[in-house]
Amino acid sequence: MLDRRNFLKLGGATAFAVLFGGCDSIPRKIIPFVIPPEDYTLGESSWYASGCRQCPAGCGIVVRVSEGRAKKVEGNPLHPVNRGKLCARGQAALQALYHPERLAQPLALDGPRGSGRHRKISWQEALSLLMGGLKKAKERPASLLMLTEPMRGHEGLVAGRFMQAFGSPNRLAWDPFGQDAFLDGCAAAYGARQIPELDIANTRYLLSFSGDFLETWISPVHYARAYGAMRQDRPTVRGKLVHFGARLSMTAAAADLYLPAAPGTEGLVALGIAHVLVREKLTPQAAQAPASWKKGLEKYSPGAVAAKSGVSADTLAAVAREFASNQPGLAVAGTAAGSCTNGKFQHVAVGLLNVLAGNVGKEGGVLFPDRTAEFSRYGREARLLAPDPGSGYPELRAAMERMRKGEFRMALLAGASNPAFTIPPALKFSEALLSVPFVVSFASFLDETSSLSDLILPAPTFLEAWGDDIAPAGHEGEAVTLLQPVVDTFRDTRSMPDVLIAAARELGGEAARALPWGSFKECLEKAYGGPGGPMEKYLQEGGIFRGRKSSVGRLPRAPAKGNLPELEEATFDGDPAKYPLVLHLYPSIALYDGRGANLSWLQELPDPVTTAVWRNWVEIHPETARKLGLSDGDGVIVSSPAGKIEAHVAFHPGIAQGVASMPLGQGHGKFGRNAEGRGGNPFALLPAAAQAGCAGFPLQSTRIALEKTSMKTRLVRTAHPEGQWKIGNVM
Amino acid sequence: MLRSRLKAAAVASFLLLALLGAVAATAQTSQPIAYSHRVHVTNFKIDCRFCHSSATKSTSAGIPSVEKCMICHRAIAVDRPEVKKIAQYWKEKKPIPWNRVTELPDHTYFPHKRMVNAGVACLTCHPGIDQADAAIQKQEFTMGFCMDCHRKRGVSIDCWTCHV
Repeated sequence: MLDRRNFLKLGGATAFAVLFGGCDSIPRKIIPFVIPPEDYTLGESSWYASGCRQCPAGCGIVVRVSEGRAKKVEGNPLHPVNRGKLCARGQAALQALYHPERLAQPLALDGPRGSGRHRKISWQEALSLLMGGLKKAKERPASLLMLTEPMRGHEGLVAGRFMQAFGSPNRLAWDPFGQDAFLDGCAAAYGARQIPELDIANTRYLLSFSGDFLETWISPVHYARAYGAMRQDRPTVRGKLVHFGARLSMTAAAADLYLPAAPGTEGLVALGIAHVLVREKLTPQAAQAPASWKKGLEKYSPGAVAAKSGVSADTLAAVAREFASNQPGLAVAGTAAGSCTNGKFQHVAVGLLNVLAGNVGKEGGVLFPDRTAEFSRYGREARLLAPDPGSGYPELRAAMERMRKGEFRMALLAGASNPAFTIPPALKFSEALLSVPFVVSFASFLDETSSLSDLILPAPTFLEAWGDDIAPAGHEGEAVTLLQPVVDTFRDTRSMPDVLIAAARELGGEAARALPWGSFKECLEKAYGGPGGPMEKYLQEGGIFRGRKSSVGRLPRAPAKGNLPELEEATFDGDPAKYPLVLHLYPSIALYDGRGANLSWLQELPDPVTTAVWRNWVEIHPETARKLGLSDGDGVIVSSPAGKIEAHVAFHPGIAQGVASMPLGQGHGKFGRNAEGRGGNPFALLPAAAQAGCAGFPLQSTRIALEKTSMKTRLVRTAHPEGQWKIGNVM
Repeated sequence: MLRSRLKAAAVASFLLLALLGAVAATAQTSQPIAYSHRVHVTNFKIDCRFCHSSATKSTSAGIPSVEKCMICHRAIAVDRPEVKKIAQYWKEKKPIPWNRVTELPDHTYFPHKRMVNAGVACLTCHPGIDQADAAIQKQEFTMGFCMDCHRKRGVSIDCWTCHV
């Protein structure tokens, strides 16, 4: 009945109708504002400078705003940390701003505690609940607990002063990727317990020991820019990068030479290089090394190191000689090295290489600037503005014990580090938190932690808030970032410092004297001389940028003689017979510790190594997989002595054999539709027992077993796993 | 059989299109508030740019915010039924959903600020708007219309000036 000719005719007519209909889709309405935003010109954009809070790196940003809406976030070209560059996480801040699941109104518990059921209440009611709790806790001031992510700038000052004036010493900051081991290592190797400036841009030879400075470590945008400069900014010098580590990470993939090393042996490899430097007297400092060092290093010959680490003796010696003859050189250890149970040893051993190369306090080496110089007027309180970026893990563990004992009457929670998700479930954080009778969260989203609260106070995103920041790295004390609201608040939110200032005023007495401002904005105006003062210029530029300093700040003492680190081996929980693989966990480049998991832009960002999106995977070597009888894409149960999760297998020939690696950040149970149901949470595999000799949070501390299982889901990758390498060639 | 069906389908689709066209045409003239340009521009001599304030600064001339209407109408003519409508929008903090009147052809770039700052009078392209009680587009923006003026004023007639 319908022949080909008529079919084509009808098809053509339909296409015509569709196209013709499409012409009419010009908007027929013109909807002007009721009240236009400040500085508004229809169709024209304004750029506002501010600071990024998507991770703790503290980059400067500029935001394009038109018609009162933030449209695009870019790096601030004037900011010394990122110089106009910005990573994907920063770009995705817009999605947090416009997120449909943003909390729009205060919530009060409406059901049993921990049920996650809440009802909407007014701010008036919420503040009276908050004040009721605070006044009750005031009877025994030490019963108030504040648990946040590490706070910097005047936000930290407000929170610190509030707790001090309240009379409670229980202020904790939790960061699963805190730099405890690095800080301890710097104290031991250089005599200065602070995050140093690593002058990657001016170095000639960069040794990376599981370094992840191009991905997530401390200040990745800064390091990536410096790395670009190291490669291409000097006409006759192209710096070389050599990477030792268990996994071919993005940093490893950028290296000239990637040498797979067994997990936890990075420090040993560093001592092997030190052995060659001292034995062959390759640098002046190595030639003058104290006798105790020479003797101590004797046992770390490349041969001995090769047996444990898997890095061949000849290669190790060759790298040592190249490192010595290409000075200034720099040795850096990253998250995976520092979060082993022997993290401090690893950082000390790597620091030793910088000492032996004579690059401490020198351009192209390790510098120790005073980053709080701008705030010397605060005296001891300057530490509140720029605290050490530790994990707070030991303090949090101790506090959880005290929660269970009923020592706290009230807890104030804030920040994105989401302890109910990032603390291993074996430690039962949720249970401990619920033994505090009254829990208040400042949050923009309902996540595992905030949903446990009795009262949730909606907080603005950083694009809608006032603030300031001192980046932990990337400047020599010459940069203070200022944050300003680039758009009006979209929801009925109030920032934590604003609420604390209001609460202090109502509490009266010492608290009111400690926080004497009308609002947090006023606090910043007092600190930076605005309005009408210099603050206007600072806000325009995005902060106070004094220009590069010539001095290197406090020069650390040389390490005492005989201070050679004693070899400590990394320990991994679990019987190797039952749990054959060592688990290597790392922060996801897109989701960080999981805080980005509710943003679809970050979920759909392909992992740079496996190209996987939207789901969790466990990366293993094809040879390891062959021994276990697993294929690429298989569903597996990943089990450790502490827990079990599901994941898909992804092959990669770059990973060391006998190692399984997983990115952190997926596996949310409660964080909105983009984050939930995307595989297991790898934090659940970590042991509950404290690791002796390990100050920080031991991410690399367990062995696992993989058991094949059938899963309904599939691992989606944007490139075929054989796109860059052939499984057959490797096996 | 098939031919008659095809005819019926064609007729039906034309009817539908005609209906859509009619809806579009009526939408052009009716506005949520019967605003008169004549009263504001001719009787009270208010400069166009008081309300269309971004004409000198932006590609669009801009439609005034409800707040701007209320600058005057908080006090002036508050008992008129049409002004009461504005007050209602203001009270509810809702924007006024105006219907688009002037259409610019596709694939053309027309920055108001260039013309206005060069001294081209608003009435050159919007003739009769100062006398209109209901805004309508009297001048079609054909290429000839634009080119005439560009030639007379000796400004660029390069394709890429307007078709970017």
